[in-house]
Amino acid sequence: MSKIYVIKRILYTVLVFFIVVTLCFFIPRMGVDDPCARYYPAQGNMSDESYETIKELTRQQYGLDGSTWSQYTRYINNLIHGDLGTSYRAGSPKVMDLIADRLPWTLVLSVSSMVLCFFFGVIIGTHCAVKRGGWQDRALMNASTITTAVPSFFIALLLTFFLGFQWEIFPAYTDQNLVSSFDWSLESMGAVAYNAALPVLSTMLGGIISNAQSVRNSVISAARENFAVTAKAKGITNRGVLYKHVLRNALLPIVTGLGMSLSGLIGGSVVIEQIFNWHGMGTLYLEANNTNDYPLMMGIMILISAFALAANLITDLCYGLLDPRVTLGEKV
Amino acid sequence: MSLIKGMFIGIWNFLKKIWDDKQGRTGLIIAAFLALVAIFAPLLTPYDPYDVAMRDDKGLSPSLEHILGTSITTGQDIFSMLIYGTRVSLSVGLITGLAIAFLGTALGVAAGYIGGIVDMVLMRIVDVMIVIPTLPLTILITNIFGKSYVVIVLVFVLFGWTGLARTVRSQVLQIKNTDYVKAAELSGGSKGYIMLHHIMPAVSHLVVISTALTCAGIMIAEAGLSFLGLGNPTAISWGKMLADAQSGGSMLFGQWWTIIAPGIGIFLSVFSFMRIGLAIEGILNPRMKKSGDARKLWKHMNHRYLDEVLRSMEDTV
Repeated sequence: MSKIYVIKRILYTVLVFFIVVTLCFFIPRMGVDDPCARYYPAQGNMSDESYETIKELTRQQYGLDGSTWSQYTRYINNLIHGDLGTSYRAGSPKVMDLIADRLPWTLVLSVSSMVLCFFFGVIIGTHCAVKRGGWQDRALMNASTITTAVPSFFIALLLTFFLGFQWEIFPAYTDQNLVSSFDWSLESMGAVAYNAALPVLSTMLGGIISNAQSVRNSVISAARENFAVTAKAKGITNRGVLYKHVLRNALLPIVTGLGMSLSGLIGGSVVIEQIFNWHGMGTLYLEANNTNDYPLMMGIMILISAFALAANLITDLCYGLLDPRVTLGEKV
Repeated sequence: MSLIKGMFIGIWNFLKKIWDDKQGRTGLIIAAFLALVAIFAPLLTPYDPYDVAMRDDKGLSPSLEHILGTSITTGQDIFSMLIYGTRVSLSVGLITGLAIAFLGTALGVAAGYIGGIVDMVLMRIVDVMIVIPTLPLTILITNIFGKSYVVIVLVFVLFGWTGLARTVRSQVLQIKNTDYVKAAELSGGSKGYIMLHHIMPAVSHLVVISTALTCAGIMIAEAGLSFLGLGNPTAISWGKMLADAQSGGSMLFGQWWTIIAPGIGIFLSVFSFMRIGLAIEGILNPRMKKSGDARKLWKHMNHRYLDEVLRSMEDTV
């Protein structure tokens, strides 16, 4: 992997990020007529001049003064210094602070769901591959055709209904004091796990099945390779061949896929968070949407895009490291 | 005229082939059933599903009068709403799927075959669009331009063609150097003629498979957006029915049918298109019959909506 390739790749990523930021900046400015007129509708008893003054003050307060171009340069300048702007919420909190407050809670859901999906997916998938054609395998096949057609929020509602309301095993809504009373003690961590059970479960079910299906296919195709036959011919037991030789190779594409889906982690699942009223990025975005809090919406979108870009960049560079044939022309 | 006739015969033969596939037949039957329900919805509904003011019977349990009871928020007849919901789901799914197929194929073929500056510009646009998260973007745009299915379909189409275009492009790049294309070029065929008569047929299988699966994916996405309250506020859709049931607290009162009914609607519509997609894949790509592309595509589809669906198509070629 040449240095030039790495530099080109990084520069290109920065360029794409810049375009994404530009789009995120101009899209909210396409439709809105005059944000201040929206914020302060004209009052009957007010002279035009004082109304203009009020609007001008509002613009200054929310950083909407000056031409669009000067707003844009200001935004980019702030972004370079790591500042995503100020939210329109009461108290004008920084967008960064709001996101930093919510991000860990989303990660609790998405990371645990991903880890569990991977774990159970590998176990079930390997098992089904070993019992290929057996009832387990057929059950997995049938389950995968069904779960892929069921949206996760429907599963979430079903789980809420049965486990939450009917049998009252897990809380149907997140405890509202969960966030404020959290203090790293074992007890409050247990409470988080208890409250996170249903959201994680509902995102997990479909994921496990589809992961298991791809692990199964991957294991079966790896078992046909020559190295597996050689290992078997050397006299290694079936179990040894499976765990030491086949599984290691079969999991490579799965892990690669996992790396690709990393960028989905920080956005969180908007619908699931909404159903369980989880204190995460998804609900933050919906709150921002309901209050027309454009800086916050832009900030979240830019952050997710940046994360996706970084993940792509790292994946590509790793590929380049492993396979020197990759060059900029082929892989971008 | 003969061209149109030939097209119809081709489509008819294709449907017959899907019908011969066991999976495809299930899909076709369900899809045809849903289409009939959607078309004849006014004849099938016992009540006016939009009727919110006439009755004050909210949250009724199933009875002979109301087969599935009434909704808890406004007292509409749930069975009638269920039937009308088919219209939104099918129309949004089909229109978006077909539009994406058209745009994605046209731009993909253009990028792949013409190459040069066209290719570069299109692929740079794809690079940017693929990065922007689709669901937040859709929410942002409905915030600006108003909540409606027109806006949703437009956003899906504008940001959804990228994956298909990439896939088609890489396929075209391979076809471009085959002998028959070279022969057509040497015998003086214009670029437009070659693209239409030689390149398009060669990528059509990709387009057909991805259209069936995109329709299914869009239906899930539509239900999700309606669930979040981003569809037409006045329209009746399954996602909105679920949202009403949830926010109205019908689960608290043990009314499971208010959730199950729209859920089954979503499931059936998505399931049928998925089956058809898998069947088509088996027909057009017999080597891939087991554990093929479509399953790989579908793998990413479930939770992460459209952008992931289309991104995963890259792996297929």
